[in-house]
Amino acid sequence: MLLQLNNIYKWVNSGGQRIFLLKDINLEVEQGEFISVMGPSGSGKSTLLNVIGMLDSFDEGEYHFLEESVHTLKEKHRAQMYKEYIGFVFQSYHLLDDLTVQENLEMPLLYKKYKSPERKAMVADMLDRFNIVGKKDLFPVQLSGGQQQLVGVARALISNPKLLLADEPTGNLNSKQSEEIMELFKQLNNEGVTIIQVTHSESNAAYGSRIINLLDGRRV
Amino acid sequence: MLKNYFKIAWRNLLKNKAYSAINIGGLALGMAVTIIIALWVIDELTFNNYFKNHDQIALVFQSQTLNGNTDTGPWIPRPLEMAIREGHMDNFRHIVMSSWNNSQYLKYKETSISRTGSFMQEAAPQMLNLKILKGEKAGLREINSIMLSASTANALFGSEDPIGKVVEVNSEYDMMVSGIYEDIPFNNSFNDLEFIAPWKHYITTSEWIKNSFDNWDNNSFQLFVQIADNISMERVTATIKNIKKDISANSEEFNPQLFLFPMNDWHLRSNFANGKQVGGRIRYVWLFGIIGAFVLLLACINFMNLSTARSEKRAKEVGIRKSIGSQRSQLVYQFLSESFLVVGLAFVFAIIFVLISLGGFNDLARKEIVFPWTSTLFWASSILFIVFTALLAGSYPAAYLSSFKPVEVLKGTFRAGRFAAVPRKILVVLQFTVSVAFIIGTVIVMQQIRYTKNRPVGYDKNGLIQIPTMSQDFEGKYELMRNEFLDSDAIVEMSSASSPTTQIWSNYSGYTWEGKPEGFQEDFAWTQVSYEYARSLNLKIVAGRDFSKEFASDSNAVLINQTAVKYMGLINPVGLYLKDSNIEDPGEPRQIIGVVEDMIAQSPYDPVKQGVYAFDNEGASSYYILRLNPKKSVSENLKLIENVFIEHFPDIPFQYDFVDEQYAEKFQSEERIASLASVFTGLAILISCLGLFGLTSFVAEQRTKEIGVRKVLGATVYNVWKMLSKDFVVLVVLSCVIAVPITHYFMTSWLEGYEYRVDLSWWVFALAIICSVLVTLLTVSFQAIKAAKANPIRSLRME
Repeated sequence: MLLQLNNIYKWVNSGGQRIFLLKDINLEVEQGEFISVMGPSGSGKSTLLNVIGMLDSFDEGEYHFLEESVHTLKEKHRAQMYKEYIGFVFQSYHLLDDLTVQENLEMPLLYKKYKSPERKAMVADMLDRFNIVGKKDLFPVQLSGGQQQLVGVARALISNPKLLLADEPTGNLNSKQSEEIMELFKQLNNEGVTIIQVTHSESNAAYGSRIINLLDGRRV
Repeated sequence: MLKNYFKIAWRNLLKNKAYSAINIGGLALGMAVTIIIALWVIDELTFNNYFKNHDQIALVFQSQTLNGNTDTGPWIPRPLEMAIREGHMDNFRHIVMSSWNNSQYLKYKETSISRTGSFMQEAAPQMLNLKILKGEKAGLREINSIMLSASTANALFGSEDPIGKVVEVNSEYDMMVSGIYEDIPFNNSFNDLEFIAPWKHYITTSEWIKNSFDNWDNNSFQLFVQIADNISMERVTATIKNIKKDISANSEEFNPQLFLFPMNDWHLRSNFANGKQVGGRIRYVWLFGIIGAFVLLLACINFMNLSTARSEKRAKEVGIRKSIGSQRSQLVYQFLSESFLVVGLAFVFAIIFVLISLGGFNDLARKEIVFPWTSTLFWASSILFIVFTALLAGSYPAAYLSSFKPVEVLKGTFRAGRFAAVPRKILVVLQFTVSVAFIIGTVIVMQQIRYTKNRPVGYDKNGLIQIPTMSQDFEGKYELMRNEFLDSDAIVEMSSASSPTTQIWSNYSGYTWEGKPEGFQEDFAWTQVSYEYARSLNLKIVAGRDFSKEFASDSNAVLINQTAVKYMGLINPVGLYLKDSNIEDPGEPRQIIGVVEDMIAQSPYDPVKQGVYAFDNEGASSYYILRLNPKKSVSENLKLIENVFIEHFPDIPFQYDFVDEQYAEKFQSEERIASLASVFTGLAILISCLGLFGLTSFVAEQRTKEIGVRKVLGATVYNVWKMLSKDFVVLVVLSCVIAVPITHYFMTSWLEGYEYRVDLSWWVFALAIICSVLVTLLTVSFQAIKAAKANPIRSLRME
């Protein structure tokens, strides 16, 4: 098993009232799954994804990731795990505007302290794999949305994560670009990457092997 | 990794050119000021370090108490030398009796020059460890030998070999050059020691010096010492403290205390008040040190404020970096390396600023500071300085920016919040508090100087020159010269005096008068003058009459000043006698024939001392005082005077001083401080304004949308301008509220150091407040109006 959520609660206090963002979430994810999280706006999809991605905390419950209990880990150790096993893809790509495509891809490797020749090789590999060798010296603003997201996915994958988290990865893309990205996800999943994506689109959800529906922070 | 950090930082700098210019420029300016001040402070602190033995050299000082007032100074009696040589030499390596450093005429063949120098004992060159260029170090062995500084020798002999040549000193003595020493550099107490002649010779030159051999009461000499190794100044002081008190007959009355005043203190801690060392120039060293630190702080605050103000722009970057695996510490490193890059660049610019302005600074501060290219210490401390500044300026942005939560900033919901700007506001208040304090302080210092300058001096100092007449050549020639000068029509009046007009050289006691209180220890400023003294100075006689040749008895008469009348407790002093209190061998009684108005002869900041102007009946003249003919131009007058002078004293260089210039010199130290302080104040304000300018532009940018909405709803340019300016004006007003009481306190205590001082007036504070508010408005308005005039459609579409 890759990860397991047991009775996860997350809330905020607002005006004396407790508003639940996540309510009693239980979830098990096996290696190699491709899960789509669906639900209306404000149902807690992104929050759930952030909790799984260790970018956000929760108030109650247990979270096990690869036999480690995340809820008891120290901040530093958690960051270490995150860096090691998780890649994130965002709706609005979130590339670093000041860096070229190549440098953007290199960034996660720098944080993982790979040596320079190794980094070069891995970046070249990734550029090749995603067919963006010709764009390696361009800055994000010089690319189309689809191309930017391609770089975003490449960046998430470059350090071989076990889990790829995608928060509405096609939300800003047109249907053709969107299809390309989903095909790419499918292919990655076939190669063994576990994927959890948040999406509004039924057709996108159909690429996955399992669908989780949320409403007001609860699984339905 | 590091390379990557610098790459990002560099691209960031290039992308925001205006921001970078303000940031780096402001920081460079601040650093340049700090470096210059540091160089100045080091120059002050290393004063006298030219002398290898500076830790062991000292001057013997004496404190004497009179009417509860203790006077302290480097004046000692001659027999002290023998007392030390006979009983205490194990504590000393060298002791060197010395005359005062006076100017003398040196003549070789046709060349005649005036140079200052001293008569010193044989050990002087060893004690000072002078660098001998030619001749021998033991050059004071022979009674008729003389040692010259390299530049003196060059002026006299040019390319000739000076050793063994004979120089005529003051047209009286022939002395043979025995050694040439390297010029003593500028920042040293002996900087104007341009020749050294043997003490042995000095003690034969005049009767009074010969007679002082065993006189414990004639404190007219100096004694330099170098203490032995392995003993402290304090311990040596303890052994010599009471030498004079135990021997001298008058010790009951004066309580003479001797002590060593270390060379290391000569320059910076030379003030004594009532026998206690009370600092001195060191307070300016502190003052400027503090100013330098503050200016740097202001520049660092700019850096911090601008960095954090831009945080919203960089929040996204922080979020992304964290979401792709950056740890907080790595972000801290990143922001610190940016800070290092900026500070490093700023340092390079700062060095350039320093190189450009060092010459001007030297003129202003009267220094000869050179840039220490080869000093490892300088570069080592520069590196430390860069690290320190980078950490100081970069730590807060690094901590703040790296603390962002990626979820928040990436969702795009991140707004810096209402209180995010609070630390920034505090820093702005701090900046302007310092700036306002600087403004007020500088204005008050300048006020005090101007106030003192406008103080009535009591005589007419314009169109007055004085010619030194200390050489033997002038003896008995006063009347002749006066007539000659008058005949030449260059002057309208002339007199002679034993002290220059702007100084007092002698103080006398030992007189009684009718009604003198029992046990009153009198002490007068004593100047011996010729008949025409009051007339030549335009000094007003307020009671009695002036000296007159018609009264033969006037050769024993004196004039006293108004302060003396009060001091002596007299109501009608005219006609009274000052009687010599020495009963065994009394001098002639001196009749007071008139009272003159007080004239400032010493510090213009102090009250005028009780003074006696005694008729000069023993040829004590040291200066001719000439009132120039107002109907002719000054240069014409001087030409005529010079002609007459050369005719009578062909061997003596014609030298003169303008009395008003001499008087103005009394303000130099304060004026120099004031002009330096105003330059630094200006820079401090400029740096603060740069920061404010940067901040406003960010605030305006941040609120673009808000401004757009407001304009669509009908806000005018004025409304928007008011809205943006108000925040900053409030901060500056708050700074003033803090700065005013602080400066009031410090300036009051600064002014207390002056007897004659200006009152603190409220308008100075008001002026400073108004100025700072105006400057703020000006700075802020540029951006505010630009933002207010922008087309709202564009700013709204951007979202």
